[in-house]
Amino acid sequence: MGTRRSTSYYVLSFLFAVFLLFQYGPMICVYLLSFQGPEGGMSFPIRGFSTVWFETLFTAGGRGVGDIHNSFGRSLRLGAIVAVLTMLIGVAVGMSFRRRYAGSNFVFYSAIISMIVPGIFVGFGISLTLNMLGLRPQWWYSGIGAQLTWSLPFAMLIMFIILGRMDKSFEEAATDLGATSFQRFQYVILPLILPGVIGMFMAGFTSSYEESARAGLNIGTGNTMPMELTGLLGAATTPVMFAVGTLTTFFMFALIITTLLFTTTLAKRRQLRLSGQHA
Amino acid sequence: MKIDTDFHAKKLGPDTAAEEAADVAVKYDVELVSVSKSYDGGAKAVDTISLRIPKASYCCLLGPSGCGKTTTLRMLAGHESVTDGDVLIHNRNITDAVQAKRGTSMMFQSYALFPHLSALDNVAFSLKLKKIAKAERHAQAMEYLKLVQMDHLAHRMPAQLSGGQQQRVALARSLITRPKVLLLDEPLSALDPFLRVLMRTELRRIQTELGITFVHVTHSQEEALALSDVMVVMNSGKIMQAGSARDVFERPANAFVARFIGGHNVIERNGRTIAVRADKCRLVDSAPGPSLAATVISVEYQGPIVRINLRDEAGKDLCVLISDTRFYSDPPSVGEKVLMSWTSDDEWPLDAAA
Amino acid sequence: MSVSPRVASWMQATPFAVIMTCLVIVPLGIIFVVSFMDFGFAEIIPEFYLGNWQDVLRSTLTIDTYITVFQQLAIVWSITLVLGFTIAYYLIFHVRSNFWRAIFLAACAIPFWTSGSIRMISWVPLLGREGLVNQFLVGTGLIDEPISWLLYSEFSVIVVYVNMLTLAMLGPIANSMAKISPSVIQAARDQGATEWQTITEVIIPLIKPGFVVGTIFIITAVMGDGFLVRAMSGNQVNTPAVAIMNEINAFQYPPAAAKSVVLLLIVLGMVGLLLRFVDIRKELAR
Repeated sequence: MGTRRSTSYYVLSFLFAVFLLFQYGPMICVYLLSFQGPEGGMSFPIRGFSTVWFETLFTAGGRGVGDIHNSFGRSLRLGAIVAVLTMLIGVAVGMSFRRRYAGSNFVFYSAIISMIVPGIFVGFGISLTLNMLGLRPQWWYSGIGAQLTWSLPFAMLIMFIILGRMDKSFEEAATDLGATSFQRFQYVILPLILPGVIGMFMAGFTSSYEESARAGLNIGTGNTMPMELTGLLGAATTPVMFAVGTLTTFFMFALIITTLLFTTTLAKRRQLRLSGQHA
Repeated sequence: MKIDTDFHAKKLGPDTAAEEAADVAVKYDVELVSVSKSYDGGAKAVDTISLRIPKASYCCLLGPSGCGKTTTLRMLAGHESVTDGDVLIHNRNITDAVQAKRGTSMMFQSYALFPHLSALDNVAFSLKLKKIAKAERHAQAMEYLKLVQMDHLAHRMPAQLSGGQQQRVALARSLITRPKVLLLDEPLSALDPFLRVLMRTELRRIQTELGITFVHVTHSQEEALALSDVMVVMNSGKIMQAGSARDVFERPANAFVARFIGGHNVIERNGRTIAVRADKCRLVDSAPGPSLAATVISVEYQGPIVRINLRDEAGKDLCVLISDTRFYSDPPSVGEKVLMSWTSDDEWPLDAAA
Repeated sequence: MSVSPRVASWMQATPFAVIMTCLVIVPLGIIFVVSFMDFGFAEIIPEFYLGNWQDVLRSTLTIDTYITVFQQLAIVWSITLVLGFTIAYYLIFHVRSNFWRAIFLAACAIPFWTSGSIRMISWVPLLGREGLVNQFLVGTGLIDEPISWLLYSEFSVIVVYVNMLTLAMLGPIANSMAKISPSVIQAARDQGATEWQTITEVIIPLIKPGFVVGTIFIITAVMGDGFLVRAMSGNQVNTPAVAIMNEINAFQYPPAAAKSVVLLLIVLGMVGLLLRFVDIRKELAR
C-alpha cells in the first residue's frame, strides 16, 4: 500500500509506547533511586543525589546487605561454566538430529518435558534424588547439572531453528569437492551456525544467572545472586537493593553489548575477507 | 464449454441505474493519464505514462525486468499509491479510491490463496465479507468454480492442489467480485510450458465471454503476441509502443521494441536505422538488392523453422529464420561466410532512439 | 576415524540424553516414589504410606490453592494474549522499515536481560504506600489515603506476571505472523476486506500455532511459579507452587512430593492437550 497511514497505525503506535513505558518504567525508577541521598528511603522523592548506596555495597557486608559480593562471584562462575557446557553439548545434540536415529524422539521429548516442567520440580526432584543417594548437593555437580536442565533444551531449540534454515547445498558442494565430514563441520557448518553457537553461550549464561528454582536446592552452601536478592527482598529496608539492581543490569548490558560487538566484528572481518581485502 | 454469461450478468448487489447507463456509454475501460510513480524521491519507476484501453480488450503489458509493468499494474489495483497523474476506470477517477470502490480485481503471481480455507471458501471469501449467508455464497462460489472447471475439487485445501489448479481457483476468486477490469500479474510464469499454452487459451476464452478487460503483465513476447488486443511495450518506466499485436510486430516504433519483440534484425546503414523481419531475410550467394556480409555463429533447429544466428563484420548480431525444407536443401555450416539479403520493401524505418 | 552416521548421532546425542535422564526423568520419578513415603520431623521414612495422598486429595486447602492459581492464570493469560497480539500485530504489519522493527523487537526483549529479581523489586517504589502511583493519586486529590492493595496483594502479583510474561506471548505470535505471506494479506485487501476483517478472517486463523505456544509458556510459568507469588504478595497468597515451596523449606518432603505430582500431572495434562493443536517439529523446521 502507498504511503498513507491509517488511524489504526497511530493508535497502535501509542499503545506500543505505553507498553514500552510499562516495561521500562519500573527499571528506570530503580536506577534513579539507586542514586538516592543518604537520608532517602525506598521510594520517591529523591532526597539528595549521591552514590552512598553504591559505596555501602562495596564495603563488604555493610548494613544488612547480605553477602552480595560472594553471591555475585558465585553466579558468575556458575554462569560461565554452564554457558560453555551448554554450547558444547547443545551443538553436539543439534548435530545429532540431522539424521533419524533410534531414540531421537526420546531425546527430543525429554527436552520438551524439561522446558515445560516448572523449575521447582526439577530442583526438588534432583535434591530428593541426592538425598536418597546420601549425597550432598554441591555447586559443581548438582548446581551445574540442575541449571543445564534448563539451558540445554533451549540450546537444542536454537540448533533446530538454525540447522532447519541452513541450505543443504553448501554441504553437498563441500563433499563434492572432497571434504571429510569433519572438514565439512569445520569449514561449512560451524561458520554458518556460529551466531547460534554464540546465542547458546549467551542463553546459557543469562539463564543460569537468572535461574533460582532449579539451582536453589542443589547449589550446596552459598547463594547465587537471584537467591540472595529474593531473600533480601522481604527484608529490604535500604536503597542498597536498588544500587545492586543498577549494577547488575549494567553488568548484563555490558556483557551483551560486548558479545554483539564481538559478533559484528567477526562478521565484518568475514565480509572483508570474502571481498578480497584484509582486515 | 459454454459459460453462463447470464449468471455473471445477474446483479449480486445494488448498482444504480445511472451507473448502468454510464457503463454502456463508456468507450475505454481503463485510462492512465500522465501517471508517474517514484519511491521516496528517488528515480521514477514509472515515468509519466498515458494509456487508453478500449472496452472489453485483452491488454498485455510487456517488457524486461524492472521496466515498470508490475508497478503500473499495482497502481491500477490500488496496491501501490500513485505519485502523479490519474487513473480512471469506466470514466471514474479511482486514483486514490479504496479497494472496494475501484472495480478492479487482482490475480497474484503466487496465487495468494488463503492457506487455511478450502477452494470453495477461498472463492466465497469476498461474499463472506459482505455478510452474505453461507448457503448462498457457497452456491455462487460453486458457479464460478464451474466456470474454471474446478467444481469437483471445491473442498480441497490449496496445499492439496497443483499449480494450475490453484491458479484456476485464484481466477474464480477474482472474478466473483465482478470486476470491471481483471489484473493479472505474470499468471503463467509458474506453469510448465505445456500448461502455459492451455491456460492462456482459457484466459482468452473467459475474457471474451465475460466481456471485461484483462490487463496481463508478462515478460514473454510469445504470450503477449498470442493474447493481446492491445500490446503495451515498456522500458525504464516509459511506454515504448502501444498498439495491436500485429501493429507492434510489423511496425515497431523504435529499435528497443524491434529487438525486444524478437524476430527482427535492427540494421544501420547509410545513416538510417531500419528493421527487417528475420523471416524476410535470406542467405544468398550474391544479391542485387540490400545485403550484409556475415559469419554463421550457430544453427538452431526449432521444428518447422530453423534459426540461423549470424554476426556481421561490425560485430552486430543478426538472425535469419528459414523453413526446415529450405534449410535442409542447402544447409549452411557454422563459421561459413554468407551474405544476408532482403528487399527494400521489407525495410521498416525506426526512430533513432533505441 | 570414521563411524557410521547412526553411531555418530548416538555419540553426539549421548551427553544431552544422559543429563536429561539423570537430572530430569529420574528425579521426577523419585518425586513420585517419595510421595508414597512416610515422614517424620525433617526425615523421610521409607515405608509405603498413603497418608500424603489422602491429605492432598481430600483437603479443601488444595482446592483453594488451585482455584487461586487458575484465577491468576485466566487473568494473566487474557491480558498477555490481548497485549501480545496487539503489539505483535503492530510490529509485523504496521512497522514498515525492517530496521525499526528489529529495534522495537529488541526493545521489547531487553528488559529480560536484566535480572528477574530486580524487576520484582522495582515495583516497590511504584506501588508501595509511599510509591509513585499513590503519591500521584493523593497529590492530585483523586483519593484521600494511599491505596494499600497496590503492593503485596493479588493485584501486584498479576501486574508483575503481565510485565514478565507478555513477551512470552508476543514472541511466538509475532513469529507466526511473520510466516504469513504478504501477498495473502494483499489478496484479502484486494477482495475488499477492511483491516479488522483481515485480522479476524485471515490473520487469526493462520497464527494458531503462535497462540498455542504462547499459551503453553504462560501456563508453565504461572502454574509453576512460587517465587514471584511469594515475593509480590508478601506471603499472603497461596498457590499450589507456594504450598509446595513452603513444605520443602520445612523439610516435609513426602507431602511436598505428593503435591508436586498432582501439580505436575495437571500442568502436563494441560500442555499435552494443547500440544495436540500444534506440531512442534513442523514449527521448528520451517
